[in-house]
Amino acid sequence: MEKQAEKQLEKQLESFILHLKRKTVVGSYQVSRASAELLRQWVHKGKWGNAKSLIDQIKIIGKKLMNAQPLEFCIGNIVRRVLFIIREEYLTFFRNKKNGLNNDDYDDDDFETTTSNNNNNNNNNNINSSSNINKNNKYSNVMLQDDPIDDQEDIDFTETFPRLKAAIMDSINELIDELEGLHRNVAEQAIEHIHSNETIMTLGCSRTVEEFLKEAARKRSFKVIVVETAPSLEGQKTAISLSKASIDTTLITDSAVFAMMSRVNKVIIGTHAVMANGGLIATSGTHTLAVAAKYHSVPIVVCTGLYKLCPLYAYDQDTFNNFGSPGEYLKFEEAEFLENVHSYNPTFDYVAPDLVSLFITNIGGHNPSYIYRLLQEYYDARDILEDE
Amino acid sequence: MTGGLNKDFDWVVAKFEEMIKRETEVSIAIPTIRILIDVIRKSNSTTVVGLQKELEDAVKQLKSCPYNQSISLSSVCDSFIRFVTKRTELDFPNFDTCKSNLVERGEQLSNKSSMSRTKISQLADKFIRDGVTILVHGFSRVVLGLLLHAAFQGKRFSVIVTESRPDSSGYKTAARLQAANIPVKLIMDGGVSRIIDKVDYVLVGAEAIVENGGIVNKIGTYQISIVAKAFKKPFYVAAESFKFTRSYPLNQSDIENLKNDHISEPFKACRSCSSCENPEQLTIDSPTLDYTPPSYITLLFTELGVLTPSAVSDELIKLYC
Repeated sequence: MEKQAEKQLEKQLESFILHLKRKTVVGSYQVSRASAELLRQWVHKGKWGNAKSLIDQIKIIGKKLMNAQPLEFCIGNIVRRVLFIIREEYLTFFRNKKNGLNNDDYDDDDFETTTSNNNNNNNNNNINSSSNINKNNKYSNVMLQDDPIDDQEDIDFTETFPRLKAAIMDSINELIDELEGLHRNVAEQAIEHIHSNETIMTLGCSRTVEEFLKEAARKRSFKVIVVETAPSLEGQKTAISLSKASIDTTLITDSAVFAMMSRVNKVIIGTHAVMANGGLIATSGTHTLAVAAKYHSVPIVVCTGLYKLCPLYAYDQDTFNNFGSPGEYLKFEEAEFLENVHSYNPTFDYVAPDLVSLFITNIGGHNPSYIYRLLQEYYDARDILEDE
Repeated sequence: MTGGLNKDFDWVVAKFEEMIKRETEVSIAIPTIRILIDVIRKSNSTTVVGLQKELEDAVKQLKSCPYNQSISLSSVCDSFIRFVTKRTELDFPNFDTCKSNLVERGEQLSNKSSMSRTKISQLADKFIRDGVTILVHGFSRVVLGLLLHAAFQGKRFSVIVTESRPDSSGYKTAARLQAANIPVKLIMDGGVSRIIDKVDYVLVGAEAIVENGGIVNKIGTYQISIVAKAFKKPFYVAAESFKFTRSYPLNQSDIENLKNDHISEPFKACRSCSSCENPEQLTIDSPTLDYTPPSYITLLFTELGVLTPSAVSDELIKLYC
């Protein structure tokens, strides 16, 4: 029976990887949802004795998924979030146990021999005064090293707790709920950012931005200028969708961005990923838009879910980029006459953090310089997964 | 000044001198921490306050000794003493266990510090891509270690080093890089903007990292950072976290009090360089350090991670509170 479940999990993983490779599951949101579901299944049905083996398993799966589609950063982000959840839940159990004991000893070996005896009766009395003392202890450890990491380096995640799995499952469910509700949560803030009779410029096709604008349109009247975003022409889709929601919409070509910018009050865009320094990896054309906005001192607001927060650094325009087929703007038949002409169709632009004014995430608005803080809150430094 | 020094700790200076001369390649944090551990070990005092007093006396000796060439020495000492005072809230059955505990933690700290350069090299590794040209200013062991580490992995990159007057430490950097077969070019300090278009990014070390994420470093760093910003080149800093200093300079003159009084200014008018008849009669001002504000710094590579300047204050709070 167990074997069967395991086989089924393997099969699920393989088929998801195929979907990723064939790009039948596309778009950050869909991919994230599917990855989170898959990892939840794995935690639920997989065979793991303690947190450490689970972490190792998830890391292996995570790497497979990331390799299947290396530029879908959100896969890695979801994997890191899940790993972080596992570590957090484990630590909660671990600390509770420690607190219940009032043990001030720092020597781990000593500690373990004494704890194993009193293992059972202290799960509940964790909210007593000793938790305060322990907090102080925790901070007194601080010296030249950042404490949480320092603290955790000694913890090997190998102890077993009967209720750990349920707690992890709960948290992963919360993560999935967060994903489901994020468009709503971002859109709810629209009223604070879009005012009456403003002119907004946007580009590309982002569900987050679309819902954001539509939500604002329920209360305010404003104009939207949509950049068509060649060569994918996704902007045209956005324009149609917005005009159907009876928003005053104007469609312009990419080359008209600078000319139109002087009459724009705000640029609101989506992004493919937010990098560790607050920079963006976004549809190509975004950099032009951002520079034009900067020139005219128009604020650039980026609407994004937290799952697009990526703990990697983009070093330059080429580090994380993809070259698409030039077929979208250069027909194959025409190309025949252009033997000596090179053609590149980069998918992404890297936009430096100083070009971005504000991020609107599902937990509120943030400055680009605050992104590193969010990273520390949602990911563990050991789960970068890149260089291992 | 010497009136405030406790003669019992003269051995500290002697040992410090010996350690620094023996191991020229290690950062100042390691000998300092080791000496302070020794102070705890040898201490006869029976209270934490007494121990703290002894440490403070030893630190005073260290700070004023002529071998103290680094402004980060005081931040290393401060954090070590802090670490001792913080432990006082803990209950130990007797003072000896407390002491041995402190020594043990100190040893861990010293190990950690000695690992920090390797860690920085690993973190910064991805920033050195094949084919890049890096501008380096002054002589920094962290930067040197980082570049040698990358070269050792077979990465091909070239380095441009400034002469870094007045002590011309750039020659030392250039020679060391050349010995490792890294293509190096030495330029004048005044030639930075002339060659900046060939540079992919600037990489410097730091004497100290201050609270707002700015750095205090060898004179000329600030200039280079301004040029880099004007040309939109990234400006990276590599430094260990013990260089985090609790000071908040608002302008260049604010860093004067970070400096050690006893380090003499090495710059003198050079007869061969000037055609002036009596250069001695000219008033020469030659500061050795300058302060680079955080807005000119792209990222800092520390063993705590790759940090944006705004993340520095957070890390400082973690270290000191």
